[in-house]
Parts: sequence; C-alpha cells; structure tokens
Amino acid sequence: MHAFKERRGSYVAKVGRGEREVLAALVADVAQLLGGVRLDELDAADVTALVEAGEGAPRLRAAPVEAPDDPAVRRLLPDASRDDPEVSAEFRRLTEDDLRARKLARLALLWSALSDPEGGDVLSVPVDRGPELAATLTDVRLVVAERLGVATDDDAERLYAEAELPGADAGRHYLVSVYAALTWLQESLVTLMLARHRRGGAGD
Amino acid sequence: MRGPRCRRRVTVGLPTVDPVPTGTSTQERAQTREDAAVADPWVTIVWNDPVNLMTYVTYVFETYFGHPHAKAEKLMRQVHEEGRAAVSSGSLEQMEVDVQAMHGFGLWATLQRSGQ
Repeated sequence: MHAFKERRGSYVAKVGRGEREVLAALVADVAQLLGGVRLDELDAADVTALVEAGEGAPRLRAAPVEAPDDPAVRRLLPDASRDDPEVSAEFRRLTEDDLRARKLARLALLWSALSDPEGGDVLSVPVDRGPELAATLTDVRLVVAERLGVATDDDAERLYAEAELPGADAGRHYLVSVYAALTWLQESLVTLMLARHRRGGAGD
Repeated sequence: MRGPRCRRRVTVGLPTVDPVPTGTSTQERAQTREDAAVADPWVTIVWNDPVNLMTYVTYVFETYFGHPHAKAEKLMRQVHEEGRAAVSSGSLEQMEVDVQAMHGFGLWATLQRSGQ
C-alpha cells in the first residue's frame, strides 16, 4: 500500500489486490452495520442505486427514531446533545435517515472502487470525491476503533505500538494492522486535500 | 505501513465534562438560562476523540466553516488540548445543520445552549 498522490484530477493510491480485498470486506461489514445490506451480494445496479439514494432529497420522519444499540453505529450516528434527551430525539428524527443514507452511499462508492475488476492495484477517486472518501475512511476507522476498544488517547497510542509487534491474538492483530494502514492512508489523502484547498483548488 | 504523520491526530480521549468557562457560578448560569431561554443562542461543540486525525479536523474547520488556516488550526488545537471547542453559534435550527454536517464528516459534535 502506497500513500495517495494527486494525478490528473484524481487522488490515486497504490493498493495491492489482496489489500483491496481486505478493505472491501471491511467496508462491506460497516455498510451492513449501517444499512443491513451486504454490498458484496448486490448487483452493480443496486450498488449504484445506494450511491444515488445518498444524494437524494431529505427524508423526514414523523415518528421518533430510536438511538442505535450498537456502540459502533452510535459513534457514526451520535446523540446531538449530551444532556437533553429531547434535543437528541428531535435531531435524530430530523437527520438520522439522511445521515445513514449518505454514509451508506459513500461506503458503496468506496466498495465499488475497491472491487472494480479493472482497478488493477490502484485505488483512484476523482478529486471532487476526495471529501467523501476521507469521511468514509473516518467512518470505517471509527467502527474498527470501537471494536478494538479504543476509547482514550492512551488506547490509540498502544494500538499503533501493537501494530508493529506480532500479537498473541491473530484476529485482533489483523484488525489493528488494518486500522493502522487506514489511518496512514487517510492521513496521506487529507494532507493532499488540505494542500489543494489552500491553493484555492476545486474539489473541496 | 505507518507514515511519519501517523501520530498527528486528535488524541485526548474521552472528553471532560467541565463547562466552557463563563465566569459565572452554576446557580447564576441556571438562572440566566431560565431568564434568557428563548433568546439564548445555541453553540455547536466539537469533542475530541481518539480516532480523528488532526489534519482532518483542520480540513473540516477550513472547508465547512470557511475559517482561515490559523483559526482552523487554533480551534483544532483547542479540541485536541482542552477536549472540546465551540465551533459555531446561532439558532437551534442553524446548530442542527452544523451538528449534522459534523456528524457527516465523522466528527463528534453536540449542540447546547450558549454559556451552558
């Protein structure tokens, strides 16, 4: 896996076939948490429909929306108030369906890019999709961090140290390595996006 | 596979719950809150978390709020070092828009009454 570079109007990172498969499976897991669908079981038209649904008209609910039980989903769709349940409930009613659809759409977009058989060993997104990619990488990292029990600064520090050592628990070590790789990939992307924004470039 | 910038991220962990300094006592704030409940503007608070990158938080503050670099970085540092920062203020409806946008970016944001 190589850092993102800006090339001919796209952000491009070299990501090997095996790495693409790992990331695509993880993205599909997060999408399933959010939307209850398996991206890898949908046909291309359904994935496209999901992407388009995220850009559609706002949805409003008349009835209250329950906060998600899964702490990882709750981190993606957090309460809007720390001390006022009424504010949180009203916010959830007004925004949760939209946020969920947008996050799902971005995941579907990334999943498509990772699963594209023509993609070779490159992950490429047009610069105007950069912010969506960066936000989706955040969402995926938030879910992985929650699953790894990262709640504090110290937890996160220990995680990066852990990634460099062979772990006793192979499953955990695998997830830790993926998390570290995603962090690194996102950092390289956002550094480019910030530089582009400060140059006054389009696509922000 | 970790780059040198990898450690530059927002990492204070769980936020503290102490209020934004207002120079007033809890009682006074409660009274003020009742007196001015209708007119009080609301604020959007962004909280620190161990996952979001410092560069990304800066990027969000620059692009979404349109802050100059210096202000965006100052706010990001405040989130990082103090655990939270008030990033915008206005009506409840306006703050709902900002909080929704922050949640869209993956930042941990809440809204509350100004001075609370």
